[in-house]
Amino acid sequence: MSRNNIKILPGALVCDESKLRGDITIGAGTIIHPCVNINAEAGPIIIGDSCLIEEQVSITHRLPFDQQEKENTPVMIIGSHNVFEVDCTVEAAKIGNSNVFEAKCYVGPRVTVSNGCTIGAGCRLTEEQILKENITVFGADCQMREAIDVPAKQTLQMDTLMKMLPNYHHIKKPNKKTDAFIKQI
Amino acid sequence: MAHICGPEVVKYACHCGLLRSISQLYFCRHCSKVRCSFCVCHEVDSIFCGKCSENIPSAEARVKKNRCSNCLVCPSCQQELWPRVAATKTSANPDEPKQVVKKMHYLLCQFCRWSSRDVGIPDQSSVTGFPDRENVYANRLQEVLDAYKAVVLAQKQAKENEKKKQRKKYLSYTDITGVTAAALRKRIGLPADRTHPLLKNKPKKPDNAVAVEEVDDLPEELFTEPVNLLEVTSVDQRLLYPEAQPVKMDKLFPVHKQLSIKRSLRCRACEHNVSKPEYNPNSVKFKIPLFAYYHIPDIRIVTVEPLRAGQTSELIIKFTNPTQHQTVVSFLEIALDEPEEPEIKEVEETMDSLNIQEKQHASLPSMTSTSQPSSLLSLGSHRQPMITIKPRQIFQTLNSTVEIPTSTFILPPRDDAAEFDDSGDTHNIQDDPKLVKWRKSNKAFIRLSVTPQEGLELKTEIVCGFAMKHLYTNTIFTQQPQKYEHKVKVFLTLGNLVGSE
Ligand SMILES: [Zn+2]
Ligand SMILES: [Zn+2]
Ligand SMILES: [Zn+2]
Ligand SMILES: [Zn+2]
Repeated sequence: MSRNNIKILPGALVCDESKLRGDITIGAGTIIHPCVNINAEAGPIIIGDSCLIEEQVSITHRLPFDQQEKENTPVMIIGSHNVFEVDCTVEAAKIGNSNVFEAKCYVGPRVTVSNGCTIGAGCRLTEEQILKENITVFGADCQMREAIDVPAKQTLQMDTLMKMLPNYHHIKKPNKKTDAFIKQI
Repeated sequence: MAHICGPEVVKYACHCGLLRSISQLYFCRHCSKVRCSFCVCHEVDSIFCGKCSENIPSAEARVKKNRCSNCLVCPSCQQELWPRVAATKTSANPDEPKQVVKKMHYLLCQFCRWSSRDVGIPDQSSVTGFPDRENVYANRLQEVLDAYKAVVLAQKQAKENEKKKQRKKYLSYTDITGVTAAALRKRIGLPADRTHPLLKNKPKKPDNAVAVEEVDDLPEELFTEPVNLLEVTSVDQRLLYPEAQPVKMDKLFPVHKQLSIKRSLRCRACEHNVSKPEYNPNSVKFKIPLFAYYHIPDIRIVTVEPLRAGQTSELIIKFTNPTQHQTVVSFLEIALDEPEEPEIKEVEETMDSLNIQEKQHASLPSMTSTSQPSSLLSLGSHRQPMITIKPRQIFQTLNSTVEIPTSTFILPPRDDAAEFDDSGDTHNIQDDPKLVKWRKSNKAFIRLSVTPQEGLELKTEIVCGFAMKHLYTNTIFTQQPQKYEHKVKVFLTLGNLVGSE
């Protein structure tokens, strides 16, 4: 894991000031702000399409202590259309699509996030659990409720960022062609 | 402000014996005393909605049960609900292909993502048109309420009759002439009895509540099905709507937002305001802000050496002068056993002088300064006799002694510009170097020595105290600021006792 192996698909926008360490694949249309910390220390991280990862976000692929001895290296998979808001810390190894991680929330490595979930601002999920579809976690004591549909997509915001960010930041160039990526999978 | 002044390790003693941090105290300039929240009268000044920032008259608020008629809160998390626009296409005429986009609204909680669609409330064309849920027991409640109102009225009437009977001792005009009031009324063509309309057509007495002996059995699935916590409401959610107390999530309904109040505080001794907010609900400022934080030197602990039983430690505290006037601070021994001298005498003297000045002031309305509270002038003529507030003992054990310094020190006035001025301090103040460690603008760092008592157990919380005497410049009357010495007892919680070396 000493060498960095960053694969950026065309259409993704990755700011140069972001700290990416390890084997990371970034899907098309994903925006990574400066000062994002993605650390693939336990195994590769694959981020899907059209994810929005804001400032100060920390995504770490870290295994729980009792699982560290296993031989096969697990892969951390993040689906598409996920939003990681400012200063959230996410260590969950499996994340589905269209989830929102609100500002300053924490999701531990034993949590599995399915689709359409919202983890509210400042909520801390540490215990081993599987979040069912469209679950909203909110409030000081992490109450849960089931929403009727997935959170709204941030299309407008992402379109603006796609235009604005390159004007003010250095951008990491996409280094993989789409078909090459497909072949690899 | 609590987070600026916290943690609450420095406490000031109110006249009533309670200890409070400076941010929770008021300072009545008219009695020159510190007042805690129990020593002031709390009055509701205005009622407003915190979301739409609208003032609501108290009579209207009572009718609406202290809730805003426009704003709704989320039944799931009690945050405010916001209307969302959902455009739905409906063709006005099925023959025409052109579709009319109609703006529809639904309510959404940004916090927990509860929406009015969750429970099947249809989208509304207007933002405020969301229906209120009917209360099943509304009729019964109204019946009971009316009955109670009638009881209250009857009692009032009975009391008045009693008074009339007492008055009967004297001869009335009708007694002499032999014409009764009823007969008189009849003659001029009015109905004979003149009872209150609410009394006359008595509301029918509500049926008594009947206890049911046989209760239905609990539903079978309660014992067989596993509980799905996502479908069951929490206690908070149930109590938010006491009329219905929904058990299942799908029975939740938006609730009208509770109104907030602005309150003014009045000194109980002299009835002057110590805090009065501005009427505008958008404003967070005060018309009268007599908070102790603006008048009494603020004391904070800077450092304290490890505290050991029977050994002297150095304590450095910071004094800040919040006023625009120079002050002199000195220390006095604290005497807990003897309560403060009775307040009333001293106050009376100052009040007399105030009254004279107020009269002068009232005769010169053009002189009224803007800082002068208007209520002060209007109160001047018909002020009620003051309440004597008996000083009470302070229940706080001191387990360490402070060596009271004999010298005093000066605190220069606050200067907001000094914060940006790096030119250094220009005041040439001759300080006792043993007392004043360092000073900058209106702040001074003071060195004191504290000795915890002998024989205390380890980890005992050490509290020391002293009385602070400072020169206070009263500027209620701009013509001639009065200066007098103000005393306040201060208690410092210094931390826990550590082992002897
Ligand atoms: Zn008090
Ligand atoms: Zn309102
Ligand atoms: Zn809510
Ligand atoms: Zn007063």
